[in-house]
Amino acid sequence: MKTVIRAEKLSKQYTLGKKSFGDLRNTLTNFFSKSVDNNEKEKLFWALKDVSFEIKEGEVVGLVGKNGAGKSTLLKILSKITEPTDGKAYIYGRVASLLEVGTGFHPELTGRENIFLNGAILGMKRSEIKRKFDEIVEFSGIEKFIDTPVKRYSSGMYVRLAFAVAAHLEAEIMFIDEVLAVGDIEFQKKCLGKMGDVAKSGRTIIFVSHNMGAVNTLCNKGFFLKQGELIATGGVGEIAQLYFEDLKSSTHIEISHSQELPDIPYRIIGAELRKNGKPLEEPVVDVFDKISICLQVECRKSVKNYSAMIHCNNEFGRLFSIFEVNSIPEYMENRPEGIYWYEVDLPCPLLKEGRYTFDLEMGHFGVGPEQMIKNALSLEVQILSRNPRFEAYSINRQNLVAVVPEWKIINNIKETVQ
Amino acid sequence: MEIRIIEKSKPWRWIDIKELLEYRELLLLLTLRDIKIKYAYTMVGVAWAVINPLFTLLILTFVFGTVAKIQVLGVPHAIFTLSGLLAWNYISTVMQEGGNSIVGAQNMISKIYFPRIIIPLTKVLGGLIDFIVTFLFLLILLPFYGFIPSSNIVYFPIFTLLIILTGSSIAIWLSALTIRFRDFQYVTPFIVRVGMYLTPIAYPASLVPEKFKTIFSINPLVGVIEGTRWCFIGGDFPLQELIFSVMTVLFLMFSGVLFFRNAERVIVDIL
Repeated sequence: MKTVIRAEKLSKQYTLGKKSFGDLRNTLTNFFSKSVDNNEKEKLFWALKDVSFEIKEGEVVGLVGKNGAGKSTLLKILSKITEPTDGKAYIYGRVASLLEVGTGFHPELTGRENIFLNGAILGMKRSEIKRKFDEIVEFSGIEKFIDTPVKRYSSGMYVRLAFAVAAHLEAEIMFIDEVLAVGDIEFQKKCLGKMGDVAKSGRTIIFVSHNMGAVNTLCNKGFFLKQGELIATGGVGEIAQLYFEDLKSSTHIEISHSQELPDIPYRIIGAELRKNGKPLEEPVVDVFDKISICLQVECRKSVKNYSAMIHCNNEFGRLFSIFEVNSIPEYMENRPEGIYWYEVDLPCPLLKEGRYTFDLEMGHFGVGPEQMIKNALSLEVQILSRNPRFEAYSINRQNLVAVVPEWKIINNIKETVQ
Repeated sequence: MEIRIIEKSKPWRWIDIKELLEYRELLLLLTLRDIKIKYAYTMVGVAWAVINPLFTLLILTFVFGTVAKIQVLGVPHAIFTLSGLLAWNYISTVMQEGGNSIVGAQNMISKIYFPRIIIPLTKVLGGLIDFIVTFLFLLILLPFYGFIPSSNIVYFPIFTLLIILTGSSIAIWLSALTIRFRDFQYVTPFIVRVGMYLTPIAYPASLVPEKFKTIFSINPLVGVIEGTRWCFIGGDFPLQELIFSVMTVLFLMFSGVLFFRNAERVIVDIL
């Protein structure tokens, strides 16, 4: 079979800390002081280092790795959005990139207008969009509202429409970032089905996801990235295993290169798990350990109604969410710019034996997440202290979570009722 | 078969015309989106395109014609000013909107590839709506004042082209500068405000004292504005100023595109 993508030592370097552009003053001072003082501490960081691979026609590759492993950077380079610092890649065939659904959607425009605009942005010809228009509308299931401005849509409808356009892209090679993480479960399934059809139609796909279930169903090959390097390629099962091993050890993250930070007033720049107020070193804890999650949040502008959220997942899906860090009123008033640590205790004891991951979100009330870090932290809960009361926390029981009961016995019911 | 080669590009490149043509539909749709949002969803809609030059005209005519009593070669002051505003309004709008356009489109830029120069170009095309409306306004005003335009009006299409080139070359320069230095978001409005006084919109360039003439004519818009006005009201052909303007605009266009293409390589990394 012929090779459709060949990458040779692709590398991408970013400058950490200080952004590489600046205000005029910085540039001018740098320009004049270059010869004098050259030991400017610029930390260089390889988001991608010497990544080489070949992908053959019809292969559906799942690209997995932790946050910051370089998955999105690789997709962005292959999509021509950003240039590699070094290395080369050859792609043979018509390419479509889907790094986000609904790119270019404008709230004031109607569904119909947005379909044409978004289609054009994704690289579809007008005639092609016209031909598929009815199909797109039907897939989205919002026929009735097609001539309504999308600002009146519910977020579900918005995502449906956006995805419907994307699902009808026809290209020989597709790069798909984690776009399925949106929408309701029912629609996600429909999308997965559609993607499955796409995958079976002999197209070559690179698919980024944190959802190993999706990778498993869709892909026939896996790539595992770690700290910018392509560590392994191989079967999906094997790659998923490597990914889980890697996840095990994430008790803290830092989001330091500007690539991953959205341009919003409040943003999460780091997070860690703590036990008794100290950073957790081993990702293994006892059922009864008091664990807290700390978020490091940068406030760039004091704006009301920004809020952070933490979601706790087990291997089957989302278990519970901890809402609204900013719900404490005094936090929302005129906060000076700076970096804040937020801490919240996990309810304890609640989590059973097993592996848990935490997604972090930052966003505006009523607008939805503007920053989303999937699987930012992970935690392995074990029963280390043996006690019959902990049976409910055993992995052998069917419950998802457990609580230590505080039963009271009320002797005389009759008396209480009266 | 399409082959895409991905590598670090050379720092100085000219525009890929073939690729730009492939993306013409996107350019058109983005322009239409801008226009729709600007006009279709405001309360008085396209009326804004008339209100804006109308009020500027009223104020300028009042200040320069009625208060300062500037003599304008026996032409009604309103006609004189509007023929200057026609070019100025277009160029200044394109400068401002084009300059800031990249920042406004950063989400799109970081999610999908397309020739980046499309972004300022949408403003160049979009501004034509206002240009046409102002032109029609001028056509209505001519009989209103009983003024018969000069036969030079047949050359107006050539000057339209020059106006568009001037607007786009400055817009491309400013958007490239804005990519590198965000300060230009604030510099551009300043240039526009100062430029309004240094450009002979409501006064004839002939009123500028001889010793300032050379410095005054460094502004490439002088030739463009005086030339456009010559189309409508005749008089001496501003040959010298025009030659200077055309040369400057061509140079700005050439260097602007090169600089833009240079800056666009890092656009996603620094936005």
